Amino acid sequence: MPSDFLLFLDRATVRFGDNTVLNGVEFNVGSGECVALVGPSGAGKSTLIGVCNGTVSLASGSAYFAGNTIADTDAWRQSGGRQIATIYQQLQLSNRLKVVHNVNAGKLGQWSTLKALGSLVRPREVLEVTALLQRLGISDKIRMRTDLLSGGEQQRVAIARALRQEPLLILADEPTAALDPARAEEVMSLLTEVAREAGHALIVSQHDAALAQRHCQRIVGLRSGSIAFDLPSENVTQQLFGSLYEIAAAAK
Amino acid sequence: MSDASLDTTRSNPSTDFGRLSKFEGTAPSNRKLFAPRQHASKISLLWNPKPTTPRRWPIVVGFLVALGWCLWSAGVGRRAQFNPRGWPLVHKFASAALKPELGSQFVSSVARATATTVGYAALGTLGSVVIGAVFGLVLSNALWRTSTVKTVPMKRPWAAHLGCSALNIPRGMHEAVWGLLFVNILGRDPLVAILAIAIPYGAITAKVYSELIDETSWEEARALRSSGASRVSAVFYGVLPSTARDLASYGFYRFECSIRAAVILGMIGAGGLGFQLMQSFDGLAYREMWTVLYVLIAISLLAEALSSRLRKSPSARNLRLGGIGAGIVVAISVFSVKLRPWTLWSPRTRTQFVDIAKRSWPPRPPFEGWGSLVTAMRQTLELSFLAIVLATALSIPVAILGARRTGSQSTPGRLVGAAVRLVAIISRSIPPTVWALLVLFVVFPGPFPGAIALGIYTFGVLTRLFLEVLENSDPRPARGLHQIGARGSTRFAYGILPEAASRWTAFSLYRWEVAARESVVVGVVGAGGLGRILQDQRTSFDFRGMVVTIGALIIVTWFVDRLSTRLRSALR
Repeated sequence: MPSDFLLFLDRATVRFGDNTVLNGVEFNVGSGECVALVGPSGAGKSTLIGVCNGTVSLASGSAYFAGNTIADTDAWRQSGGRQIATIYQQLQLSNRLKVVHNVNAGKLGQWSTLKALGSLVRPREVLEVTALLQRLGISDKIRMRTDLLSGGEQQRVAIARALRQEPLLILADEPTAALDPARAEEVMSLLTEVAREAGHALIVSQHDAALAQRHCQRIVGLRSGSIAFDLPSENVTQQLFGSLYEIAAAAK
Repeated sequence: MSDASLDTTRSNPSTDFGRLSKFEGTAPSNRKLFAPRQHASKISLLWNPKPTTPRRWPIVVGFLVALGWCLWSAGVGRRAQFNPRGWPLVHKFASAALKPELGSQFVSSVARATATTVGYAALGTLGSVVIGAVFGLVLSNALWRTSTVKTVPMKRPWAAHLGCSALNIPRGMHEAVWGLLFVNILGRDPLVAILAIAIPYGAITAKVYSELIDETSWEEARALRSSGASRVSAVFYGVLPSTARDLASYGFYRFECSIRAAVILGMIGAGGLGFQLMQSFDGLAYREMWTVLYVLIAISLLAEALSSRLRKSPSARNLRLGGIGAGIVVAISVFSVKLRPWTLWSPRTRTQFVDIAKRSWPPRPPFEGWGSLVTAMRQTLELSFLAIVLATALSIPVAILGARRTGSQSTPGRLVGAAVRLVAIISRSIPPTVWALLVLFVVFPGPFPGAIALGIYTFGVLTRLFLEVLENSDPRPARGLHQIGARGSTRFAYGILPEAASRWTAFSLYRWEVAARESVVVGVVGAGGLGRILQDQRTSFDFRGMVVTIGALIIVTWFVDRLSTRLRSALR
């Protein structure tokens, strides 16, 4: 039943032209769950994340979030969409804004226009923002312009924005792709910890299988648009991971 | 979209527009002229290694104080600015818009004037491209690389350095000022307008060309050099082919600017559409004026459309077609303007030149004394500042209103977008001098009407640039906000505006400097500042005074240039 899960995909199929990018994917996430999507480039990880937040439309099948069909409409975005926070690889922060505004941008689906615009002049709810930044270890940067921060700090701002949204579900599309191993480890543990503390479900796509295994309870392997396995992370073996990449290599 | 598409406006004497805008986005600054500033930033970097959010409030306070001062000084609120008795004239002028003069005799004289103006623009552009190519090559590093070994630094002769700085002088003088000089030497000759365009634009083109050439990879030329090719042939075979496309498309962009310059030069007596416009204005023939204005708008629309098309898709085929077209236009122009290049070395020109050179020396202050010169400098500064503030304040809401949004757009939205573009193109195709004449109907003479006139013209230019900033802005931050349910206006305020606003500020600051130079062309019709003094001196043949006034103009332009560069780097 769709309503039992927070997110539920039923035979989800996505085509870009003649190219089938997702092929009949059955996928569900319960509230508070932490799921890693792994697989080679082009396996459909980003597309799957796009289906979850409504930016990619289905050719067939259906997608539900909190009991409602995910749709590309303003009505859905203002009810369901604002409960889903997405952290992109390129972060999509407004570079010239101060950190406090970039974090508060997470509230834009809930705030009135007047409040949102007024906050640009005199920041609103600064205490909440400070608390979040404190948790992420960058509270001293609250008044800094975002483009003057380091890459890792910007990553934290993006996470803070996602948390500020108080979503039911956080989607993170390869959040560690641009980071060195130590930073990647740090960001992954921070992300999974804060999501767990706040009780948000988390779906994170990952290149690095070992990293995913260390931080998430459940691993979903994708291979050329289909789910290859969907297992608790302790049951995923090196061979299973290998199979995702080998076959992709053989197919080329 | 290529950076060249931003390269849309008239001349900028320090460095050209699109190129600056490109550097603005990437490197801190392409200017090596102002070493002290770089030095200072290095010191502050040592002292405080962390980058800090720049403090805005001193600049904001400074801006407000300057604005208040300028308004007060222009007499806003202190004395009557508007002349209500002018309204009937405005009404008469406006109602003539629907009935342009279409009598066959007038139409044929407008057609001849159009051919003259286009001819001036075409030949002036040709001249500026030739000057630009020669000096650009000489001033670039390309010719001076003596060694083929990478690590050996190239030695540019000191003469080339000197040449670079010397080019600042022709660039700092407005086309109209050149025109005034040449009119006195050559009399009423087509060469006046052509040279007045070719020299300042040639200096700008030289600067841009040398930068383009220096950006080109030197690898191919190095290979040629090491196999024994001479310097010049290495440049021609190894450097120019790969940059020729950029050089050519920049030339077409200059033509677009030359049309506007040619009209202004016509107004100061060089003939063509500008001259026709002044005659009709003096004869209060408003219906005739409208005919000329419509032609003016049409040809600038055409020139802009052609040049932006060439710059957006500079394929070999398009450029070849453009080249053939340009060749035909130039050939026709030689006849339509009745070009007689030998006037340049005729004995009469020489005696005239020597005579004027003698009468210009020694320089002396204007008739009213040094104090009046300083006042006029201050007025020019204030005028350009008010103009740029007015233009920016108008352009921001208009550009926001008219920007084409990505994705679907409703029919009313499209109509608004088209209307905004039309208004902007009308504002910028009518020269500031004409705007000044119209504003002087209802505003008492002084710097204030000058500021309004220059502001209206600059508004047209800025709106075009501001629209391009909006349409080329990164859509992803706003798209992300859309996903979480943010409404249109908040999406814009959080996702697009922050980035756009900083680019807008940079563009306004660039244009401030152009406005300072251009203040001379609203001054000549009595709108105050150095332009008025220059006009008085010209009519009384006070060449000694003119030298001083032109020097003062160059100083004001240089000052605004420095200030604008500083502010841009402080606000980055």
